[in-house]
Amino acid sequence: MFFNSPAVERLVEAFRRLPGVGKRSAERLALHVLGSPEDEALGLSEAIREARTRIRLCSECCNLTEEDPCGVCSDGRRDRSVVCVVERPSGAMAIEKGGSYRGLYHVLHGVLNPLEGIGPSELRLERLMKRLDAGSIHEVIVATNATAEGEATALYLAKLIGARGLSVTRIAHGVPMGGGLEFADDATLSHALQGRTRL
Amino acid sequence: MRLLSLHCRAFRSLSETEFAPGPRLNIIHGGNAQGKTTVLEAILYAATSKSHRTNLDTELPQYGAGAFHVRIQAQRGGHGVSIEAHWLNGTKRFKVNGIPQTRLSDVLGRVNVVFFSPEDIELVKGGAASRRRFLDMEISQIHPGYLHALQQYRLALRQRNELLRADRPDPDLLAVWDVQLAEHGAAIIRLRGDYVAELSRRATEAYARIAQAEPLTLVYQPDVLPAEDLGAVLAKMQASDIKRRATQRGPHRDDLDILIAERPARSHASQGQQKTAALAVKLAELELVNARAGEYPVLMLDEVLAELDAHRAEHLLDAIPLEVQCILTTTEQQRRPGRFESDCAYFRIEGGRLEEEE
Ligand SMILES: Nc1ncnc2c1ncn2[C@@H]1O[C@H](COP(=O)(O)OP(=O)(O)OP(=O)(O)O)[C@@H](O)[C@H]1O
Ligand SMILES: [Mg+2]
Ligand SMILES: [Zn+2]
Repeated sequence: MFFNSPAVERLVEAFRRLPGVGKRSAERLALHVLGSPEDEALGLSEAIREARTRIRLCSECCNLTEEDPCGVCSDGRRDRSVVCVVERPSGAMAIEKGGSYRGLYHVLHGVLNPLEGIGPSELRLERLMKRLDAGSIHEVIVATNATAEGEATALYLAKLIGARGLSVTRIAHGVPMGGGLEFADDATLSHALQGRTRL
Repeated sequence: MRLLSLHCRAFRSLSETEFAPGPRLNIIHGGNAQGKTTVLEAILYAATSKSHRTNLDTELPQYGAGAFHVRIQAQRGGHGVSIEAHWLNGTKRFKVNGIPQTRLSDVLGRVNVVFFSPEDIELVKGGAASRRRFLDMEISQIHPGYLHALQQYRLALRQRNELLRADRPDPDLLAVWDVQLAEHGAAIIRLRGDYVAELSRRATEAYARIAQAEPLTLVYQPDVLPAEDLGAVLAKMQASDIKRRATQRGPHRDDLDILIAERPARSHASQGQQKTAALAVKLAELELVNARAGEYPVLMLDEVLAELDAHRAEHLLDAIPLEVQCILTTTEQQRRPGRFESDCAYFRIEGGRLEEEE
């Protein structure tokens, strides 16, 4: 950057580590923070500190939460016979926003990825198996992403869970609602065709 | 498809060059290092945004220049198309009919070319990997789904091989990658099979026209056949894969046999035969594009006549369909006497300067 300050460089570096932030945006964010009033800038760091220290993993579903167990796990109106397995908290959040799912979640915090050294023991699988062994869950919906690693993880889960005699389902992948077919890529379309349903 | 003009500025040794080829056969002759290949490279670059010689665009501007410019104008089914490539200090910009293009992939396919360069003989002479690369490039251009399958297959293969490198890989974990290898691998095997079937008939015809002797045959050699057996084969191989620490079967082991008089051209054919075979494959590609697009691409032949005897050279030129516009380079001053004389345009290049000859 144009001024020679290790502190500023550290800040830029910190922003760069955020998802979706490149060098240019990191510099812009740093400049913005430095140019804003002091209490506002420090408020940001305080907000990060507070959120980070208060939030932990739910001991049931491993989602991020302030209270343990989390709001979903402690909600008596949820359907406790179904659990939806997602890669990350953002997945649970997306499904929750959809508003139609009434079951529980389980967050893996990753997917199988040998090239990055991520095997079953790096995922929150043990906890999931304990929950399944407790006996009230009858169906597991696997909602990992439609990537090679997400599919591999789904298949692995199907094997583990199927061996326990529970029903395992995979969410369908297909064309976005309200979106024209011409906007879907080839892979999505062929997947959607394979997963077609009878009318 | 007809190329009307090429203009380039500061592209390698071409400081300021205009080239207006005729509708049929165009012969560019000149000594070594005078810029013949560079003229073809400039056309290829404008048409595909890539050079055949390098992946580093920084090698392309003339020594000491910070920019280069290439423009081609072509005619396609009665419509004009122009492509401009402008490279400035490391960024390249393309315009199609004057409109800036945000994605380079959108430039592709506006002006279709088929290019034969002396290195293409690797297809015949080289290892199986160079033939798989050829198949992969050709089929991805025709079949968008192929590229996806290929990428997914390669990724799953790398993941599986990574697991196999560990000391005691968990068979259940290996199996989940097998499912994806089987799915995408089967798609690859089927599409390669379809493509080679289309290509081989045309290559055999083209070879017969040039060589007028021994037959050429292309035979796809999938490592696993039928395609739907791949999953079972992977499962059967698991123990052995664990021992060898690698995935031993699958389309990453495929080959394309190129046979001349029923013997592998790679080990048994002469130089001239190998070159003829590589050329026949290119001419087959030309026919395939025509069958699909309803129009022949522009054919560019760099230094093809070297190593071919007078008969083959003559037959090669005869083998090119009359509707094809062809640009051919040669170090020797050649004239094509006889009935095709009027279809030929002759050019001479010296020190990057190109001139039409009478
Ligand atoms: N970036 C560059 N700037 C200027 N000259 C270059 C650049 N890159 C390569 N050259 C030179 O351009 C000259 C022409 O090369 P080109 O390959 O077109 O020759 P050619 O006529 O095809 O020769 P040959 O018959 O040997 O194949 C070579 O002498 C080469 O050194
Ligand atoms: Mg050359
Ligand atoms: Zn919870």
